[in-house]
Amino acid sequence: MAKKEQTALVSPEIVDSVEALNIRLDEIRAAQREFAAFSQEQVDKIFFAAATAANKARIPLAKMAVEETGMGIVEDKVIKNHYASEYIYNAYKDTKTCGVIEEDKEFGIQKIADPIGLIAAVIPTTNPTSTAIFKTLISLKTRNGIIISPHPRAKKCTIAAAKVVLDAAVQAGAPKGIIGWIDVPSLELTNEVMKAADIILATGGPGMVKAAYSSGKPAVGVGAGNTPAIIDSSADITLAVNSIIHSKTFDNGMICASEQSVILLDSIYEQAKKEFADRGCYLLNREETEKVRKTIIINGALNAKIVGQPAHKIAELAGVKTPEDAKILIGEVESVELEEEFAHEKLSPVLAMYRAKNFEDAVSKAERLIADGGYGHTSSLYINAVTEREKISYFTEKMKTCRILINTPSSHGGIGDLYNFKLTPSLTLGCGSWGGNSVSENVGVKHLVNIKTVAERRENMLWFRAPEKVYFKKGCLPVAFDELGRVLGKKKAFIVTDSFLYKNGYTKVVTDKLDSLGIAHTTFFDVAPDPTLACAKEGTAAMNAFQPDCIIAVGGGSAMDAAKIMWVMYEHPEVDFLDMAMRFMDIRKRVYTFPHMGDKAYFIAVPTSAGTGSEVTPFAVITDETTGIKYPLADYELLPKMAIVDADLMMNMPKGLTSASGIDAMTHALEAYASMLATDYTDGLALKALKSIFTYLPRAYENGANDPVAREKMADASTLAGMAFANAFLGVCHSMAHKLGAFHHLPHGIANALLINEVMKFNADPAPKKMGTFPQYQYPHTLQRYVECADFLGVKGSSDQEKFDNLLKAVDELKAKVGIHKTIREYGVDEQDFLNRLDEMVEQAFDDQCTGANPRYPLMSEIKQMYLKAYYGN
Amino acid sequence: MELRDLIFSDERVDIYRFGDKTVRLFKESVRKSSVLHIALTHSCVEETGIKIPTLHEVTVINGRWAIVMDCADGETLEEEMAEHPEKIDQYLDDMLDLQIEIHSKSVPKLSKLKDALSRRINELDCIDDVKRYELLTRLESMPKHTKLCHGNFIPSNIIVGPDGDFVVLNWAKARQGNASADVAHTYLMFAMKDQALADRYLDLFCEKTHTSKKYVQDWLPIVAAARMIDGADEEKEFLSRWIDIASYE
Repeated sequence: MAKKEQTALVSPEIVDSVEALNIRLDEIRAAQREFAAFSQEQVDKIFFAAATAANKARIPLAKMAVEETGMGIVEDKVIKNHYASEYIYNAYKDTKTCGVIEEDKEFGIQKIADPIGLIAAVIPTTNPTSTAIFKTLISLKTRNGIIISPHPRAKKCTIAAAKVVLDAAVQAGAPKGIIGWIDVPSLELTNEVMKAADIILATGGPGMVKAAYSSGKPAVGVGAGNTPAIIDSSADITLAVNSIIHSKTFDNGMICASEQSVILLDSIYEQAKKEFADRGCYLLNREETEKVRKTIIINGALNAKIVGQPAHKIAELAGVKTPEDAKILIGEVESVELEEEFAHEKLSPVLAMYRAKNFEDAVSKAERLIADGGYGHTSSLYINAVTEREKISYFTEKMKTCRILINTPSSHGGIGDLYNFKLTPSLTLGCGSWGGNSVSENVGVKHLVNIKTVAERRENMLWFRAPEKVYFKKGCLPVAFDELGRVLGKKKAFIVTDSFLYKNGYTKVVTDKLDSLGIAHTTFFDVAPDPTLACAKEGTAAMNAFQPDCIIAVGGGSAMDAAKIMWVMYEHPEVDFLDMAMRFMDIRKRVYTFPHMGDKAYFIAVPTSAGTGSEVTPFAVITDETTGIKYPLADYELLPKMAIVDADLMMNMPKGLTSASGIDAMTHALEAYASMLATDYTDGLALKALKSIFTYLPRAYENGANDPVAREKMADASTLAGMAFANAFLGVCHSMAHKLGAFHHLPHGIANALLINEVMKFNADPAPKKMGTFPQYQYPHTLQRYVECADFLGVKGSSDQEKFDNLLKAVDELKAKVGIHKTIREYGVDEQDFLNRLDEMVEQAFDDQCTGANPRYPLMSEIKQMYLKAYYGN
Repeated sequence: MELRDLIFSDERVDIYRFGDKTVRLFKESVRKSSVLHIALTHSCVEETGIKIPTLHEVTVINGRWAIVMDCADGETLEEEMAEHPEKIDQYLDDMLDLQIEIHSKSVPKLSKLKDALSRRINELDCIDDVKRYELLTRLESMPKHTKLCHGNFIPSNIIVGPDGDFVVLNWAKARQGNASADVAHTYLMFAMKDQALADRYLDLFCEKTHTSKKYVQDWLPIVAAARMIDGADEEKEFLSRWIDIASYE
């Protein structure tokens, strides 16, 4: 037993069995582990040495390949070997493949290249040495180990090429045995290699590629090509024909991107055909075409005897006599279906020639040929690239190929960097999903590394946005309006208000001033509470008739919201409310781009109640009266351009309105302060507003017009709170209040008042079920936030919890002072009706736009609990 | 049981008629396991409901293993086709309907056609390692199916009964596998005698089953290689031409 183990550890001289292969794989893995720690400098030295050695061996390797496989042309294989070493070296000599390859410190992102490990490389017979050089070089550059599975027909030369690269690499410091190979190839060993590897670079027939994909390992496979080349009537015919001859004869037509068919436009058919003949191609007559047909394809498959053979030899096999130096056998054929042998890939200097009626016909023939057996590979077009851009676009649109070459010999063009210097040089050409591949471009070093992305936590940029002009002070309205006429030069003002305010003369101060300024005006006073789309449409029609350059909203939230909607419809009649009302997670990343506002009319908001804050917010709510659906709109485009806060307009507010709107302003301040988006910029506004409300709301409520100081303080507090939540947003209290109001017709401020205590308790939990998602919101800290409010309000307590409890009491007391009941039930909401529709209300509240900023992400069951507690009371 | 009426004989089996039954008397060289495998396969197919002779007994007669089953009376389809060339299209149609019906059956107990093909290609000594590698690679890439395949579905294995019904004999090579491989084998057997008839057969199969011709053709080099083991010398040249194809690269 001990002896057996010892034998198993001996490195095999050749790999000809599964046992030997397993030892070799272990050796490569061990070498790769060492290699993985190499620096970029060490790797680049090895890459240079290996490329140089392969370059030097290009002629002997080419000779070996032709001798062993009996296919192709030595001189052309020299070019391929030369290309595989020189071009690949040149393309990647400065490419970073080790460690940090990309970094952006500001954004906190770093990309680190790690080797994949063990690469299985399947090497074909058509390009054995060049493909071996290519794959081993890119493996070395990426610090991978590689095991080569040669095709049995090309094993000697493939192994020789791999050995040249290995020896040079080791000489330059690479770990011994970093490259390995199977000496006696068999399907069993190839399958073992594929199963053992970390990734497969499969180049070969569809069988091999399928085997690679079914091995269960990630595979970069390539497949068959069936390149059609169209020669358009605008093309340079001499260049086109000679490019095709050059490409098609290269290595006797064995490059997979090589042209298989040429499609000539009718108008240049004879000219191009003559050029082919003049340059030494042999055009088969009908009888000869038939003979060649039966020779090149057997039962729908390519005859192995013709692959990589010269044209003369293929003709001989078919019993056709041609000059010895015939370059290409050309069959003039019509069908592009697979029944036509010439329509297949031929891997030899045999070319199908088609005549197309027009460009569209040519493209449709090319499409069919691609579908016959070249999906994803390469297509080619000869055309005047300056004048015929439309045709080029048409062609590129129709071709399901990953390389579309213009005026380029496709054998040389497809492999890149020879006729276009931005096409990656490669001997493994990805064919995308069309060809069943995972890669659709030319395969390179980037496919052989795992990129680790290191992303550091960063915080969002925040903002503070408010109307450019906020004018305030009791009696300021006429002063502010001076600017309208004298500075802004407005000529026509459209006033939006409600009928109560209009009939009671509240707009008179506005219209008198406008008259004195010589500004024409009209008033729309049909706005009802919870303004409807119908109302907005009516107002918009009036606006369209009047064509104002200035809109003045005078009123509470309803008038201001209705005016904002009319403004949108007046400026952008094409917009769809469903689009504008689409919910978003982050206002800056929203799908919908809101139209730009203010091009036609300047928007001025004049509040007549102290609570909504709408004069400084980017929000508006409108109800579709036909469906009952509310459209909440939110975008900074909806910010009024000017807000005028004049307590004179609020002096005679009825008690109920003072109470409901004042308490609404309090919830604005509390929610904006607790919001995840709260900032120092909004905190000051919220706290100051809160303090004013606690101090002056009871006075304003009790004394009304007799207490102008309280009225003015409340007017300012409402606007301050508005600016806070215009930027920090609100929370789940408003989500729930919106739906409670809609379902059970409670005034908005009252609904908020009934819910705020439950929401505060919910938010204050230091271990919530789920916290909100926002980079600035680091951990649940809302209890502390409420304590800050308590401190600012002078609410005492010996601990945070006590302060918080006392804050809740203070809120309750404030509500009581302004006549607000304690529970939803007390407002006459029927219990059965409430319970029956509770689940629906819960779901809608959960989905409300305000929920997103709440510091605690609510579960629907939690919202339900809060509703129930607010209904019954504690 | 005294067997006198010898109706067929080859190097593996003598078939006697015995009343309304046939007795397959295997030569001593045939292993017991092979005989039992043939009997098992036959009885499995019987259970699918396809019309085949009922197997009654597996026994030993004078030290030789034997299978006793019903006799299928009638001419073979091959003979019928030769006698009635005008009915060939109808025969092809009926034959394909039956083959497609067989393919619709599933017999999980049978071994896999791909394994059998792989074994045959590995055993073949008249091809070189390169060819073997290519054929095995191609075989490996072919889709794995589990349809009942007769394995040698040719007119000489079909008896046309007095009522015109077909009865299929010789299920020894039945496996579960890809229908197109089974069809490729039948095509190959036709093609060795009559290329035009083979093409008609294949076209009709593709039409009836909406299969692409290429899908069936992809199996041809594989079934041709597998056939080489049984094939007579004169077939070999024909078959080797079918095998000598290259995969795209």
